[in-house]
Amino acid sequence: MDFPQNMSMEAAFALAEAEAKLDAALQESRERFEQAIIPNRLNEDWRFGRPHKYATALAELLQSSLLSHGVATVLHAEEAAVRITAEDDDLRQTEMLMPTIGSDAMLGMHLKRFGQGYALYIEESTTEPIVITYRGGELYTPATFIMVAPGVKAHVIEHHIGSPGSTMFATRNIQVAEGAALKVELTSKGFEHYMCITNIQNMGGKVSHLTAHEDSAWVREETVAEIYTAGADTRLFSANHLGGASVLDQHTKQIHHVGEATSDLLYKNVLDGKATATFAGNIYVAPGAHNTDAYQSNRNMLLSENATTNSLPGLEILADKVRCSHGSASAPLDEEQLFYLCSRGIPQYEAQKLVAQGFLEDVLSRFNKDEQ
Amino acid sequence: MSLIIKNLCARVKDGADILNGINLEIPSGEVHAIMGPNGSGKSTLSKVLCGHPDYEVTGGSVSLDGQDLLAMSVDERSRAGLFLAFQYPVEVPGVTNANFMRAAMQARLPKGEDVDAVSFYKELRGRMKQLGMDTKFTARAVNEGFSGGEKKRNDILQMMMLQPSYAILDETDSGLDVDALRIVSDGVNAMRAPFRSFLVITHYKRLLDYIHPDVVHILSQGKIVKTGGFELVDHIENHGFDFLKTTKE
Ligand SMILES: Nc1ncnc2c1ncn2[C@@H]1O[C@H](COP(=O)(O)OP(=O)(O)OP(=O)(O)O)[C@@H](O)[C@H]1O
Ligand SMILES: [Mg+2]
Repeated sequence: MDFPQNMSMEAAFALAEAEAKLDAALQESRERFEQAIIPNRLNEDWRFGRPHKYATALAELLQSSLLSHGVATVLHAEEAAVRITAEDDDLRQTEMLMPTIGSDAMLGMHLKRFGQGYALYIEESTTEPIVITYRGGELYTPATFIMVAPGVKAHVIEHHIGSPGSTMFATRNIQVAEGAALKVELTSKGFEHYMCITNIQNMGGKVSHLTAHEDSAWVREETVAEIYTAGADTRLFSANHLGGASVLDQHTKQIHHVGEATSDLLYKNVLDGKATATFAGNIYVAPGAHNTDAYQSNRNMLLSENATTNSLPGLEILADKVRCSHGSASAPLDEEQLFYLCSRGIPQYEAQKLVAQGFLEDVLSRFNKDEQ
Repeated sequence: MSLIIKNLCARVKDGADILNGINLEIPSGEVHAIMGPNGSGKSTLSKVLCGHPDYEVTGGSVSLDGQDLLAMSVDERSRAGLFLAFQYPVEVPGVTNANFMRAAMQARLPKGEDVDAVSFYKELRGRMKQLGMDTKFTARAVNEGFSGGEKKRNDILQMMMLQPSYAILDETDSGLDVDALRIVSDGVNAMRAPFRSFLVITHYKRLLDYIHPDVVHILSQGKIVKTGGFELVDHIENHGFDFLKTTKE
């Protein structure tokens, strides 16, 4: 290891220790990936996600000789505020250490293909949003790393855009420092297979995270939010309108490592046709993480009798004075609302669209209301 | 031109009979009032006319300007000129008042034509002002969190925007404060025209003092049991509905 010149003994010692720790962690994660198996239905985290059909196909693609291929662009108005790199060691190491929800094997495969994507180091507040677009072909496995410096405010928008028959498997690591505020939204659109693993590390800032998936046959989303510092405020939102025979499989974890912090999740779906939505959300409050506030709500509106939902909320609370709530509900469209709109001359189809949009609007307006 | 209801019978789907042979004819240009005890079927009549899915028509017919009203879907009835200001206007979360009204106006235009946004907002604002409504209500979700009186005004706003030829007001007066009652009545009176008629359902003389009806009907147990002029209103105000019992015995 190269020590910088003029480094104090204490500093050198601390640095060496940190590097040893990182090496151990990386070794551990390597072993984790070696032992991991491709998901199947026996894996509790993949019970409803149609792993037989979709995960297997995705794994085969990832192991094939197909090149990961796509176009990545980033738009930012204020150049000085953001340092952007296309490839980055930090990014790779962060990805190696990121938690999954039952998809270690898939993450291991992603790591082997790694090499496209952006690392954003946001060091000054920006007023305009930074827009990242990944446009994928047959197979694309990008990675995003976003780090927001202390006290900095930023807004990042990520668009993941597919084409018929295309597959994307993205990873995202988001780190928000003390006093920072990040609004970040992810939209995905038009894939055959789409999978995204996100890890949010909140070090005492405010994060509002929104996902919206559209027009894909299969979407698997894993979002793990980890709260490391008191005062952190983490909000997770998702709003999706599903039709056809599409499958949406969403898994979340709100992990409170320390107390005196808040996390709040609201995931809403409108389902039409034969669409299926699964939501499995976990709140974990570590021992000693007292005075935690953690909430979780999953709501579905069913426009068709053939649409199905599975909601699996879970709580594990190992601390005191914790305020937690979790709830889920699926209900058909409200007939009275529909009648009211139709009674003003709006055709049933339009009225249904308005009510469904209105149902999701609540998520979008809560996300938009959050200051960046 | 008129709304003609003949021997209309309806029940709650798979439930009790509520309307037991209603006969009513409202020619264009007239204002009719319906009074009647709680639970006599006034709101049911108005909702059946609009095609509410909770009810099933078991007999009779309704013609609106010669068209078979009962054969039309809910939205077609509205576009044919029927309007109901609800006793309990419905909250529609997430849909703004402006978008709602715009969709309703859009539905009335021929295919390919779009609502002119500028004149639409101008008219909406103007009507709101007339009704003493704050323009911030355009951005709020339809009736969500509105006070009782605000909901009633919002329904009247919709009526003014849609300019129906047959408007039913189901207890629009209950929940309105004294000033609002006058404002709403003035609005209704201003809309009176030879080509438009009103069916006003109320429990109180006060509203009818403002909107002077041409004909007054008494509904009891799903039937029109008496039809007359304003003297019926005075009678009910002074003596209640006791006479219904005595006439039956
Ligand atoms: N959807 C329904 N399900 C069950 N019962 C109903 C339904 N709609 C109406 N009814 C019943 O039909 C009767 C008539 O109700 P309606 O609301 O028409 O009365 P109303 O004359 O408008 O009374 P009010 O003056 O109190 O508004 C009542 O007994 C009511 O309980
Ligand atoms: Mg009533």
